[in-house]
Amino acid sequence: MKRFVLFVTACACVAAVAALARPAAASASWCWPSCGGYGLLGQWTSTYTGCWFSSGEVCSYYNGWFNVGMAKTCYPGCDWNYRTTGVVLYGFENHDRIRGVFTDRAETVYTRPSYLGLSGLTRAQVTWYAGTNQVNAAAIG
Amino acid sequence: MNRRTKLAVALLVVAGATLGGMLVTRGDASRDTATLSNQGGTTIAISGLRMKLATIRAGTVLATRRDRVFYRLTTVSGEQCFGVGVATDVGTPGSVMCQRGFPSSGSPVLDLSVYEGTRHDAKEFSLFRVEGFAADGVAALQFFRPNGDVALTVPVSGNVYSAASPPKGPIAGYAAVDKEGKRVWRSP
Repeated sequence: MKRFVLFVTACACVAAVAALARPAAASASWCWPSCGGYGLLGQWTSTYTGCWFSSGEVCSYYNGWFNVGMAKTCYPGCDWNYRTTGVVLYGFENHDRIRGVFTDRAETVYTRPSYLGLSGLTRAQVTWYAGTNQVNAAAIG
Repeated sequence: MNRRTKLAVALLVVAGATLGGMLVTRGDASRDTATLSNQGGTTIAISGLRMKLATIRAGTVLATRRDRVFYRLTTVSGEQCFGVGVATDVGTPGSVMCQRGFPSSGSPVLDLSVYEGTRHDAKEFSLFRVEGFAADGVAALQFFRPNGDVALTVPVSGNVYSAASPPKGPIAGYAAVDKEGKRVWRSP
């Protein structure tokens, strides 16, 4: 019994240390297609959540977002300068406009609503512009 | 081992080394002659980036243009990134790109310009703000209309470019030009 109590106590201590070491969770988050994988963003892709464009766009819900990040891979291919076959616009949108930065490279990018001159409630978005794009997008608020 | 076998082995070793060298250097910008001569100032702390995939804590200021600050950044894993932010909050870039291919002769421009769309029925975008980075040898950036006309020419200075009030209307791409005005590269 004593050994069991010691084991449980040790487990509790490890769990407490692990919990303290974890970074504080963001107040809100959004990921596409998931928070741990990539999806193909094409001309007909949609999250069907009322994005600025009815197709060729994935977007979050309205929130006071801190930033949006996107990781774009070489799939299905890159040249020697990491230029992919696809082009996307990543950024934010509101009821009046959509704003963002274009990229055709395999890269990791981040941008904030304030950089795009937007404030208040916005939706994080990644919009297809050309070709095939394998991306993971995430926003934190 | 006879002479013919030795020769065959030697040829295989040479071919393997050549192929290995090609694979190792594939995509490596360091073998490219494109450079950024602007090395920036002293290293400063970077904050305000909650980025899981590219943790950045340090960088240098390459230039300040009007109210914008241009950064060369380094992730904790050593990857090179570039960012731009407002001059009233130095050390807090608002937009960051971590791109392995820049600068290179095939990728002499890293454009962080902001585009805006106001139409739902067409993916037509105009410039909201123009800024970015360019390799040595790029004297200016030209932004085109869909019909190919030049809508805006922005000079490059100290490997950065910036324009606060771009003209209205759709933009379909951009090109890098040298000091003679010759196009040396263009976007897709």
